[in-house]
Amino acid sequence: MSDLLELRRPSSPLIRRRGRASAFLKEFGFGYVLLAPVVLYIVAFQFYPLAETIRLSLFDYSLISGRGMSFNGFGNYKELLLNDSNFWSIFWNSLVWVLGSTVLQFAIAIPAALVLFNKIRLRGLWRGLMMVPWVSPVVIIGIVWKWIYDGHYGLFNHYLKALGIISENIVWLGDEKWVWPALLLTSAWKGFPYITLMMLSGLTGISREMIEAAHMDGASAWQRFVRITLPMLKPIMYATGLVSIVSSWTKFEMIWALTNGGPGYSTSILPTYLYTNSFVYFDLGRGSAIATLSMAIVLILVGVYARTFGRNLE
Amino acid sequence: MKESIVRKTSNYLWLALLMVFTLLPFAWLIDTTLKPDSEMFSTVPTWIVSSLTWDNYRWALGDTGLQLPRLLLNSIAACGMTALVTGVIACISGYGLARYKVPGAGLVVVLIVLAQMIQGPLIMIPWYKMAAAFSLLNTKTILVMIYGTLTIPVGVWIMSGFFRTLPNELEEAAAIDGAGKWRTLLTVMIPLSLPGLVSISLYAFILGWNDYQYSLILTSSISAKTVQVGIAELMESMGSTNWGGLLASGVIVILPIVVIFAFIQKYLIEGMTAGGVKG
Repeated sequence: MSDLLELRRPSSPLIRRRGRASAFLKEFGFGYVLLAPVVLYIVAFQFYPLAETIRLSLFDYSLISGRGMSFNGFGNYKELLLNDSNFWSIFWNSLVWVLGSTVLQFAIAIPAALVLFNKIRLRGLWRGLMMVPWVSPVVIIGIVWKWIYDGHYGLFNHYLKALGIISENIVWLGDEKWVWPALLLTSAWKGFPYITLMMLSGLTGISREMIEAAHMDGASAWQRFVRITLPMLKPIMYATGLVSIVSSWTKFEMIWALTNGGPGYSTSILPTYLYTNSFVYFDLGRGSAIATLSMAIVLILVGVYARTFGRNLE
Repeated sequence: MKESIVRKTSNYLWLALLMVFTLLPFAWLIDTTLKPDSEMFSTVPTWIVSSLTWDNYRWALGDTGLQLPRLLLNSIAACGMTALVTGVIACISGYGLARYKVPGAGLVVVLIVLAQMIQGPLIMIPWYKMAAAFSLLNTKTILVMIYGTLTIPVGVWIMSGFFRTLPNELEEAAAIDGAGKWRTLLTVMIPLSLPGLVSISLYAFILGWNDYQYSLILTSSISAKTVQVGIAELMESMGSTNWGGLLASGVIVILPIVVIFAFIQKYLIEGMTAGGVKG
C-alpha cells in the first residue's frame, strides 16, 4: 500500500492538482461567477475606500494649503485630541445624538408596533402610512420640521402655547438649550418606522396561546407585556438596536439639513465635523482622522452594547 | 363583551394618535403650500385655507428660481440607472448567495453585512479624491457608482432571501430538460422572482432619490446635481423668505417616492423583515 503510493507520488502531483482544480472549478466556478459582481463592488468601492481613509489620516493633506501630501504620522490625531477645543464637545454631542435618537425611536416604536399588531380594520394601510416618514427624503423632512419649529409662525410653538406648556415662543433650532430636544424628536419621528417594522415581525413570532393563557391566569395587560412580550422581543430588539446605533452614527444628513451643526458647533457631531473640515476647509487629512476616530469609537460602542445586552440572549 | 368594546375603542384611539403623530407634519406641509404668503405668515397658524392658491407650485416648477424640472431630470437619470444596475447585480449575486454553497460563501455574507455599515462619512474623502482623479466630479456617472454603496449590499441581501423561498425542484426540473445554468437563471428563476426584483430596483431608486450626503460632496453644477442638493441650497440662500416655494418643491420631490413606495411596500417589507429575523 505505502509502496504503491511512494511509486506514484513523483509522477503525479501536478496532474492531480490540475485535475482537482478543474473539478473544483466545475463544481463551484459558476457560484463564484455569480458572487463576483457584489464582492468586486464592495471590495473596490467600500472596503478599499475605508482602508484609504485610514491611510490618509496619517498624512498632512490639505487642498488649499498648496503643500500637497506629506506623511505626518499621528499628527492629525494629536491635533484633534489634544489641541482642538471643539473635538471633545463634538464627541459628547455624537454620543447624545446616537443614544438619544436610538432610545427615543424605541420608545415610540414599541407602543406603535403593539398598536399596529392589534386586529384593526385596514391594518395594511396603517402600516404603510406609518412608514412614510422613513421613506421621505431627509432634506425635505428637514425643511418641513424647520417650518414647524419656526420661532414666529411655527405650529410647534402654537400647540405648546395652546396646551399651556410654554408661554413665550421659542426659536427651537436657534437656541442652544432647545436645539437638542428638537433634533432628537425629528430624528425619532423619521427613524421609528423602521424599528416598528422589525418589532412587528418579532411580534408575529410570539405565540398567541401563551398570551391567552397568561390572560386566563389573571395577568394584567402590563404584566403580560413585561413578562411575555418584551422578553420574546429581546433578540430582535438587540439586532435592531445595533443597526440603529451604527446607522445614526454614520449619518450626518439630518443634522446638516436642520442646523448645519450650529448654532456654533453646538449640534455638530463627528460626521458633520468631518464634513466641515474636509469639504468646507478642505483639510482632507484631518477629515480622514476624524473618520477613523469615529470608526474606532463606533466599534467600541458596539462592543459595549454587545457585552451589556448580548449576554442574556440564547 | 363590554370589555372588548372598550378595548376596541382604545385600540382605535391609539391608532389615531399614532397616525396624527406620523402624518401631521405632511398635512401641515401640504396645507401651507396652498396658502398665499399673507396667510402663511400669520402669528396664529391656522389649518383653514381661505384663499387657495397654486402660486407656490407655479414658482417651484417655473424657471425663476430653482430650475426644479432640470434637477428632477438629473435625479431621475441617476436613480434610474442606479435601479437598473442594482437590479442586475442583486439578481446575479443574490442567486449565487441563495443557491451555491461555495467555499467562502460565509465570508461573502459577512462582507455584505459589513458593507451595509461602511457608508457616508467613512468613505467620502477617498471617493472625492477618486472622483477628482478620474475627472468624474459633477457627473451623473459618479453618482450612480456611489449610490451602489447604498443599494447593492442591501439589494443582494434581500434578493437572496427571495430566491430562497423558491423550491429547489425548479432547477432540477430545468436541468433534466437540458437547460444550462445561465438559462435556468434567466428563464426560470428570474421570471418567478420578478415582483421581488422590481421591488428591489424601485427601492434602490428611492434610496438614491433620498440621498443628500453623496450628491452634496460630488456634484455642484446644474448638469449633475440632484433635487436634494438644489433644494438644500435654496433653503440656505433664501430659506426664510420663500417658505411657500420651498415647501411646494418639497411636495413635488416627496410625491413620486410615496407613490413608488405604495406599490412596493408589501414585497419590500417582507424582504426586509425576513432578512432582519435571520440576522
